[in-house]
Amino acid sequence: MSVLTINELERYTENVLVFPAFHIEIACHEVVALYSSMNVRNALLAMLTGKLPISSGEIKVNELSFANNRKGFLSRIGLLLLQDGSYERLTVKENFSFFKQLYGSSLSIDEAVRIVKLDLKANKRLTKLSLSEKRRVQFARLLFQDPALYIFEEPDQNVDLETKLVFHKMVHTLGESGKAILVLTGNMETALSVTSRVYRLDEKGLKAFDVQDTEEEPKLVSPEDADKKEEPVLSNTDSVEELENDEPIVQHVRFEKIPTRMNDKIILFNPPEIDYIESSEGQTNLYIKGEMYPTSFKINELEERLQTYGFFRCHRSYIVNLQKVREVITFTRNSYSLVLDDHLKTNVPLSKTKMAELKEMIGLK
Amino acid sequence: MTFSMKRVRAILQKDYKDVSRNMYITTTLILPLILAAFFGRIGGNTIDVHYLIINMALILVATYVQSALVAEEKEKNTLRGLMLSPASIFEIFCGKSLLSFIASTVIIILSALLTDYHPKNLLVIIIAIFLSSVFYLGLGTFIGLLTKSVMEASVAIMPAFVIFAFGSLITPLMDQYPILTIANYMPNLQLIELAKQVEAGAGLADVLSHLAIIFVWIIAMYAVCLYVYKKRMVDE
Repeated sequence: MSVLTINELERYTENVLVFPAFHIEIACHEVVALYSSMNVRNALLAMLTGKLPISSGEIKVNELSFANNRKGFLSRIGLLLLQDGSYERLTVKENFSFFKQLYGSSLSIDEAVRIVKLDLKANKRLTKLSLSEKRRVQFARLLFQDPALYIFEEPDQNVDLETKLVFHKMVHTLGESGKAILVLTGNMETALSVTSRVYRLDEKGLKAFDVQDTEEEPKLVSPEDADKKEEPVLSNTDSVEELENDEPIVQHVRFEKIPTRMNDKIILFNPPEIDYIESSEGQTNLYIKGEMYPTSFKINELEERLQTYGFFRCHRSYIVNLQKVREVITFTRNSYSLVLDDHLKTNVPLSKTKMAELKEMIGLK
Repeated sequence: MTFSMKRVRAILQKDYKDVSRNMYITTTLILPLILAAFFGRIGGNTIDVHYLIINMALILVATYVQSALVAEEKEKNTLRGLMLSPASIFEIFCGKSLLSFIASTVIIILSALLTDYHPKNLLVIIIAIFLSSVFYLGLGTFIGLLTKSVMEASVAIMPAFVIFAFGSLITPLMDQYPILTIANYMPNLQLIELAKQVEAGAGLADVLSHLAIIFVWIIAMYAVCLYVYKKRMVDE
């Protein structure tokens, strides 16, 4: 039973494709993060709240759509928008009692105060609270609303550690209790810290990230769980676990994805996704769409592995994906630069010795 | 979609606490009372003076408080949250209007006490002032919908304030410029006209025409409000 179903939804503005038709389903108990740019996020939220008409495709929450049952649709969605305001002249408790009455909630006010850790500020007006604490008041609003689907926009942007912890705990509890949660963010770290189901949505469509928790979950002793654990899980991420193990293992499958580390998770990238690779001070980083992902490989190893994918060692500390090179700029007779066709128009240095090699490769004499 | 008094009460309570801590608005509430006390001591106890105060109370309290309440929700980005909540649009505006209505009723009763105004037929006057209040609330909602912040609403209320509070000063000019007799149909002048007739001993049946005109104003005002609301909310 999926709570949120987005079917073949697409969005064009004038001549720009914001996102092509994509399909996603979020069932109850599921936490999904959508990693996207701001205009994609705004378009998606506007469609969800009925501000933008949905020209093609559909959004359904519990089989209801905005068009045919506005009230039912909206009552099932709890939205936390980045620019949500709050009643600043009221105290925290007064705000909560207003939410409680408005949504006809059974949650007690003291309980909500405890969940969002505002005990010390319960009788303070919101004007006296910090930005992070105001965000927590907003979290509580959703708790009072108690919808089937929670949508958070940039939930932990510019907030303190305590608020992040409150948020993570809240998402965890809500997920356990069978809610569906969607986090929209432009920050990879946020997305990864909340869930391991991360998707990127942009003009190229929806793409799932290969994420794997490196933390070994403690084995549960209950018999039914033990049974579950023993079923072998077959997925293309198995090989990562093999990398984790200390024993030498003969790899039968040629493993092509490049693993990178982010906090305590490993993300795997397909070589064609990578724009370029930079090594500085012994640390090698992959650059994908302007984001940096550290990897534990040495640049020489990567060069070897990626040779077959059309990657080129253009400098002592750079490898570039030749598919992404737009132009070669000659500054002087012996300094060159490559310009990539990503949206940042990144410049990657090209050393003189490699220039000759490159010319040969692309058939210039 | 059932109309829920509970939600209206929630909005009413929330706005009451909010407004009671808002210095901008609380100071304007006192203005009619000060004027009432002043005129009451001077002893200019004509109907025109009484109604100068009452019309001023209506515009400063009913209209201004209402417009500030609506505009502030927009300014603070909270209206969207309310609209996505289970409360219907009707409930939201009910809750808000109720607060402004209670406030203006209290202020008018106090002003009437201060200026020593004892109408001969209290029931008719109560009906007339009630209908006027409803019109002024509609005007306040309209101004609140047009503006984006409390500051803008305070400026936008000025023309309305001049027209409705001092509208009665136009009467001497009517003989000179017959065109101005149109102003007689303004709700504030209708209210004064009605009050004068009541003082002259008229009953409810005699002043029905005045009440009907005020009622037409109410219908027109709320139709405009509804139109502006629909138009605005699509844009935002």
